[in-house]
Amino acid sequence: MSTALYVQLLNLVAGAFLLTAVLILWRRELTAIIDVFALQGAALATLVGIIAVAQGSAELGAVALGVLFLRAGLLPWMLRRAAVAAGATQRETRPLVNVVSSLLAAAALTLLAYAVSQPLVELAPSPSTHAIPVGMAVVLIGFFILVTRRLALSQLVGFLLLDNGITAVGFLTATGVGLIVELGVSLDVLLVVLVLQVLKTRMREAFGATDLDELRELHD
Amino acid sequence: MNTVQAGLLAAVVVGTLSALGGLLLPRPARSTVVGVGIAVSGVGALVAGVAAMAGQVASFAAPDVLPLSGVVFAVDPLGGAFLAVTGGVAVATGIYGIGYCRRDRHGHGLDGRLVQTMLPLFVATMMLVPVAAGVGTFLLCWELMALTSLLLVVAEHRRRPAVASAGRWYAVMTHLGLVVILIGLLVFSAHATDGSFAALRIAGQHLSPAVADLVFLATLIGFSSKAGIVPLHAWLPRAHPEAPSNVSALMSAAMVNLGVYGIVRVGFDLLGGGVAWWWLLVLTLGAVSAVYGILQAAIGTDLKRLLGHSTTENMGLVLVGVGAAGLFASSGDLTLAGLAMAAALLHIVNHAAFKTLLFQSAGSVVHATGRRDLDDLGGLHTGMPRTTTAFGIGALSASALPPGAAFVSEWLLLQALIHGLPAGVSATIVMPLAVAAVALTAGLAVATFVKAFGVGFLARSRSPEAAGAHESPPSMLAGMGLAAAACIGLALLPTLVLPTIGAVAGGVVGSGDPVTVTATSIRLTDFAGSLSPLLLTVALVVGLVATLAAARALATRRAAREARLWDCGAGPLSARMEYTATSFAEPLQRVFDDVVQAEQDVDVTHHQESRYLVEAIEYHRRVPDRIERRLYEPVLAVMAAWGRAGRRLAPGSVHRYLGYGFYSLCALLILLVVTR
Repeated sequence: MSTALYVQLLNLVAGAFLLTAVLILWRRELTAIIDVFALQGAALATLVGIIAVAQGSAELGAVALGVLFLRAGLLPWMLRRAAVAAGATQRETRPLVNVVSSLLAAAALTLLAYAVSQPLVELAPSPSTHAIPVGMAVVLIGFFILVTRRLALSQLVGFLLLDNGITAVGFLTATGVGLIVELGVSLDVLLVVLVLQVLKTRMREAFGATDLDELRELHD
Repeated sequence: MNTVQAGLLAAVVVGTLSALGGLLLPRPARSTVVGVGIAVSGVGALVAGVAAMAGQVASFAAPDVLPLSGVVFAVDPLGGAFLAVTGGVAVATGIYGIGYCRRDRHGHGLDGRLVQTMLPLFVATMMLVPVAAGVGTFLLCWELMALTSLLLVVAEHRRRPAVASAGRWYAVMTHLGLVVILIGLLVFSAHATDGSFAALRIAGQHLSPAVADLVFLATLIGFSSKAGIVPLHAWLPRAHPEAPSNVSALMSAAMVNLGVYGIVRVGFDLLGGGVAWWWLLVLTLGAVSAVYGILQAAIGTDLKRLLGHSTTENMGLVLVGVGAAGLFASSGDLTLAGLAMAAALLHIVNHAAFKTLLFQSAGSVVHATGRRDLDDLGGLHTGMPRTTTAFGIGALSASALPPGAAFVSEWLLLQALIHGLPAGVSATIVMPLAVAAVALTAGLAVATFVKAFGVGFLARSRSPEAAGAHESPPSMLAGMGLAAAACIGLALLPTLVLPTIGAVAGGVVGSGDPVTVTATSIRLTDFAGSLSPLLLTVALVVGLVATLAAARALATRRAAREARLWDCGAGPLSARMEYTATSFAEPLQRVFDDVVQAEQDVDVTHHQESRYLVEAIEYHRRVPDRIERRLYEPVLAVMAAWGRAGRRLAPGSVHRYLGYGFYSLCALLILLVVTR
């Protein structure tokens, strides 16, 4: 693969990665959010795959396949199953910050991510490190979703977005987190998703809804 | 492998195995196996400690066990002394615990898995603290000791609500103490090449005065809180009484000593002696604790709480000795310093012996009657004669009168203080005051233990439980017997242990042997003064027998007449008319009212028909700890206010909590961007 093609592909995929994050912020239907999340997982896997091809590393290729399976296959499937089980409350009707302001906030967060990542990029300028701000922006947007959304499921998506961003930054800076580390992190994420699913089911049984603000009574 | 290594290895291995036994064995076998295990491990530690005091050294290092610092152990004479004391206490309490932990007929017992696993671990960690030879190892063992003892203190939390509160006090104070010690030792080791005590010893030679002061003060605060020294004593009279009695004995006779060990180790060994004001401070703290502790004990009526206060008193006396030793050493008076240190170490040994015995017999009383209040006891000498004898021996040993064990060490301490008069300006003021404090303490201790023994065990029973008291099982009696034998041995033949202890003390302060010993008598080196406890006892016994014989001879000469006891014409005397602990302490409470400030309340109920007739009088007395009220309550109030203010930050909204994280992350990133 020529360098020019590599850079172009990298930029394209990174753009798709950021765009899917913003789309998740924009859409309200849970099913649509999950579809976009699956797309983002695919984008992340492609990003890893491109780096793998550029470096000619078979190990990284295997990791890319693993990422594809976990983030575009397994996690969206689990989320979809949970959304079907949730039934009626499939729309994020009233987030704490409305959609227009959210999009503006996402723009501001992206700018912040670019400003903050400059020192990192300057350490070792290369096509892949120039994409670090995108990963940072996805981290911040994921955190933002986690803070502003009311439904447990869309908060879960926010958390996964955050983790996608962290993974992307990891691959872009070190051109590959160690296989063991990646495996460990993926296992953690899977565990968190399982725990939150259990929590969500319990909440629905207890309160009949999965709005996290119902948990207000928990403090001492 | 020399004796020290073999003994220590045996102690640790047997301790660990009995902890495993406590975890895995079925209930009936558990307390026996664990008790025997603790006793065997105690024998190992005792042998190792005595061998180390005689001059044998041993060390052990495993650099890979703990990250960063590794594990280092080394046994020297000073550590050996504390190891031997812990071992001795463990032997007696281990055997005692066999019967004490077994279930009684009500199904109450301490043979649960948690307690039986923690007991040997607690003993093993106490043995490892004085042989730890690196900051990391020391702090690890210290923390393990605190945690295991905390779990043991709260063992009976289902039976009494006060246990939980005592556990909280202990947990908070022991951990604050650990934090302060941690700060002190880490600051110290930052100035050394590594965290081993050998490196600290070299670094201690040329530490700047400010750093040395900081290290000493921080460790002094932490260690004195463990030793129950005023004003950090608040946990001790709570935790020691609420713990099961074998645990109380271990804590009160062995664990508090390690606070003193820490002060001596850091002050003398690692920092190399230091300046006079450090030791003046230690001496003052010790004197205040001794007087305050015994005053609280003299007025208190709870048997085990009284013993807890007496622990504060005795640790205070030990610190008077340690402080005096430091003061003399800093003014170059090495023989005197050795004498004061020897008195302190001997007092630690004596205190360990009699406090083990006293807590064991108190435990046996609680085991038999379920009561701790002296005003509910009495008359125990008929139901439990052996326990009564044991407590009597313990009380005599604790009250600093010949032929008690504490008499010898307090005599040595007073000799050191009196001969220290010409040592300098501050000493001329402090030493007489310290002598007065020690003398006052000794006097109050006599009153306290006369009260505890006389009211608690003699006369007639004041409650049905005390009347129905039964003697404890043989294993408990055997444990008490061992401790009583140690008390008697230390009282009559201190000449057997004093040369070794004197050599250890001389080694710590860098002097020769401060005392010379013949077969029966102790003679001070360089000063006029000698004592022969054995001859003194013989003289006392002969005098007593002669007086009794003379009284008997005189009495038989006059004709005896049988008559009814004078009862003011108010009918037969009942047990309610007896002298109680409260009434016994009333004069003392009156004398020391400015210090104690007891709160009392008298409610008189008049007869319906006439105000001149009284139907009932109720008298309530509470003795709040005044230092606690002045010092702790404001701090606790501020903490509570802080907590209430903090609660506004936590309204319960998950979004708010997530928002805190998000906004602080964004703020941090913006700060990074702006300041770059």
